[in-house]
Amino acid sequence: MENKWNFQGNGELKAAPGITIRGVLSNIMQNLNKDDQRPIIPLGHGDPSAFPCFRTSLSAEDAMVDSVRSGKFNCYSPSVGILPARKAVADYLSKDLPYKLSPDDVYLTIGCTQAIEVVLTAISLSNPVANILLPRPGFPFYDVRAACSNLEVRRYDLLPEQGWEVDFEALEELADENTVAMVIINPGNPCGNVYTSQHMKKIAETARKLGIIVISDEVYDHLTFASTPFVPMGTFGSIAPVLTLGSISKRWIVPGWRLGWIVTCDPNAILQQTGIMKSITGCLEVSTDAPTFIQAAIPQIIENTKEDFFLKIVEILRGAADICFDKLNEMPFITCPSKPEGSMFVMVKLNLSLLDDISDDVEFSLKLAREESVIVLPGVTVGLKNWLRITFACDHSSLEDGLGRIKGFCERHAKKE
Amino acid sequence: MENGNDYSHQKWNFRGNEELNTASISVRGVLNTLAKNLNSDDPRPTIMLGRGDPTEFAAFRTAPPAADAVSDALQSFKFNSYCPTGGVLEARRAIAEHLSRNLSVQLLPEDVYLTVGCTQAIEIIVSVLARPGANILLPKPGYPQYEARASFDHLEVRHFDLIPEKGWEVDLDSVEALADNNTAAIVVINPSNPCGNVFTYQHLEKIAETAKKLGIFVISDEVYGGLAFGSNPFVPMGKFSSIVPVLTLGSISKTWIVPGWRLGWIVKSDPNGILEKTGIVDSIKNYLDITCDPATFVQGAIPQIIKRTKESFFSNIIGIMREAVDMLYDMINEIPCLTCPNKPEGSMVVLVKLDLSALEGIDDDVQFCLELSKEESVIVLPGVTVGLKNWLRITFAVELEVLKEGLQRIKAFSQRHAKKQLEYQRQYPQRLSRSETNLRRRIMSECFLPGLQE
Repeated sequence: MENKWNFQGNGELKAAPGITIRGVLSNIMQNLNKDDQRPIIPLGHGDPSAFPCFRTSLSAEDAMVDSVRSGKFNCYSPSVGILPARKAVADYLSKDLPYKLSPDDVYLTIGCTQAIEVVLTAISLSNPVANILLPRPGFPFYDVRAACSNLEVRRYDLLPEQGWEVDFEALEELADENTVAMVIINPGNPCGNVYTSQHMKKIAETARKLGIIVISDEVYDHLTFASTPFVPMGTFGSIAPVLTLGSISKRWIVPGWRLGWIVTCDPNAILQQTGIMKSITGCLEVSTDAPTFIQAAIPQIIENTKEDFFLKIVEILRGAADICFDKLNEMPFITCPSKPEGSMFVMVKLNLSLLDDISDDVEFSLKLAREESVIVLPGVTVGLKNWLRITFACDHSSLEDGLGRIKGFCERHAKKE
Repeated sequence: MENGNDYSHQKWNFRGNEELNTASISVRGVLNTLAKNLNSDDPRPTIMLGRGDPTEFAAFRTAPPAADAVSDALQSFKFNSYCPTGGVLEARRAIAEHLSRNLSVQLLPEDVYLTVGCTQAIEIIVSVLARPGANILLPKPGYPQYEARASFDHLEVRHFDLIPEKGWEVDLDSVEALADNNTAAIVVINPSNPCGNVFTYQHLEKIAETAKKLGIFVISDEVYGGLAFGSNPFVPMGKFSSIVPVLTLGSISKTWIVPGWRLGWIVKSDPNGILEKTGIVDSIKNYLDITCDPATFVQGAIPQIIKRTKESFFSNIIGIMREAVDMLYDMINEIPCLTCPNKPEGSMVVLVKLDLSALEGIDDDVQFCLELSKEESVIVLPGVTVGLKNWLRITFAVELEVLKEGLQRIKAFSQRHAKKQLEYQRQYPQRLSRSETNLRRRIMSECFLPGLQE
């Protein structure tokens, strides 16, 4: 007789809890044509680490090798991270702020991924009916983690015709007494925009008015290549409390190293006083930590990486953004509302009326993968149906190849007159 | 006019969570609290016997090929990217092959899910099982991270006993009495933390059969699987996977002495596909999709770490452990207020019983540890942290000279506090100072195993 088993998977987790970029791209990649001899052009994900031109700084690699070979950092780490690493990150971020961060303001995490996990979990536990405001289009991992924590999400729009700035009217209408925080991503993923100082000040003032925290996802910090410089949200931390999330993944092109941070940019110590930081440290206490030897390499990584490595990366991205914008503008089938100024992405609108047998962004992406071995991310993944998120963090010749194939694909599927 | 710094009328919409403020991983929290009672005027070095982390000792330095493997993986330029869900394929394959040596069924790479240490493996399993109304069975004494995580995820826990008189075997009657229709799984830690025993083949088989009868699966925490040095050989629970589905948790932390590298796994031993059918596997995969991963280059190093570490490294570590255990057992036996009913056969820790009747003015294990910390600069873990009041958990994964010194100081402390004549007792009553009372209250609040709070 068959044994009766009492267990089953967690209902919420049994079905995939939501759309993830990894999940969507993996589905699209299943549609690739194995017989196509041409190289796959990956314009869907935000990870250029496989391209030789994007190889991380050798000083950073050396620092990591030294750390593991020293044998001194094989031990457990405190839950908030080891002090030398926290201090190094505090000093590094303070360079761009009008005040000095202390190591106690820095909490090390396993990449920005864990930073998001911890902050959202802490907020969800603070109030069973809490809600947070997320940008649309945005980064779907926030939605997925919020769903996991039963944290209500409300989406405010970013305005494409205004360089993807925050729609303040919509924001204020959404907020209520249970709204705890708003998330901004700057430089923008998926939009590729960079906020001006004035705009960020207005964000801070709005947050202050609403009595909420600004969670500023700055994982693409300093990856700007147009006229607007990167300004950390913490600059306005005395207006409204700011939790800055970041990592070394993007600036150093090492997402596989998994080292990020949550930083309190809050000179008035509101986050401490209201007990939110205790919730965050409580979450960190019951969670696993970033490898100790990776943390230990941080001071050397930051100190030894020369400016010309960063300049080189920014140059490649600038050139790539130019190529991308120019080539996309040649295609009537795709509209690019604003030239990307930062991060690794651009949001472009599909003109489906000009295409024959393609009903939406998902179908576009699936067919593009099959027919041209080019991967792009359908915009529905990030909250804008019938748009596409295209990554330009690619070596230039692959990028040109990929964009050429997209053009060919569109022309082949163009509506006949 | 609004002033940037005027908060007198400012209302903020957010507050911390009181529940979370007090719940912390008990072991870490308790040890930190004990350390606060250290006497800063004591010139002697502090001896930490509270936690299994021997990385500071040269004798326990990890195998050189391990650091080489990590450097090579890093500099290969192949592992700087995000990894696929579940982990880098070569690493999953290497672990599958490595663990299959001790099993009757060959594991596949797909049966292996890489995690950020065994700590995250526990996080994942608990989240996967945390359906409303469900419960899991945990050993008492046990490893409090299970309780911490379960409390965090609102998963009910029920404790079954381990029987000291029977070498810390599982009280299978108490298991059957506790389980009901909502029980999902039983956690077994083998080799045992905190007890230090290694279960026999027969006993593990009985556990498997009991689990099957109850319709639950076994979570076998084998993080100390490479550290068995007594007469009982280590037998992986996966050997009984034809009887009952098994999820094995493990990591390289203890076997390679690298807890700071954060590389662990959940391994599925389930030839009958029951975990698939019941949705457990999908839940694990979906959770892995939305959580953080181990560093890609550490994963990339795994095949070489396993392949190039010589057997002599492991036998050397085992040799040190054996010597340490012998020394500890002998020295504990010389201390009248302490008994070690079961000489440890595995892991890095042992439970030692405190005979309070032989001591003067020490009311329980917490007080013992607080005063030991202050008077002798030695830190051991009070058993209440792991579910057994008035026992102590002591680590022996320590350099022999340091262990000897630590045990000598414990002996001196015990002698100093030994029960004297009644007259003397009346003249010199001993009390905890006020700060010690506060520290003690803090420790008790961090030990939230039910039925143990004062």
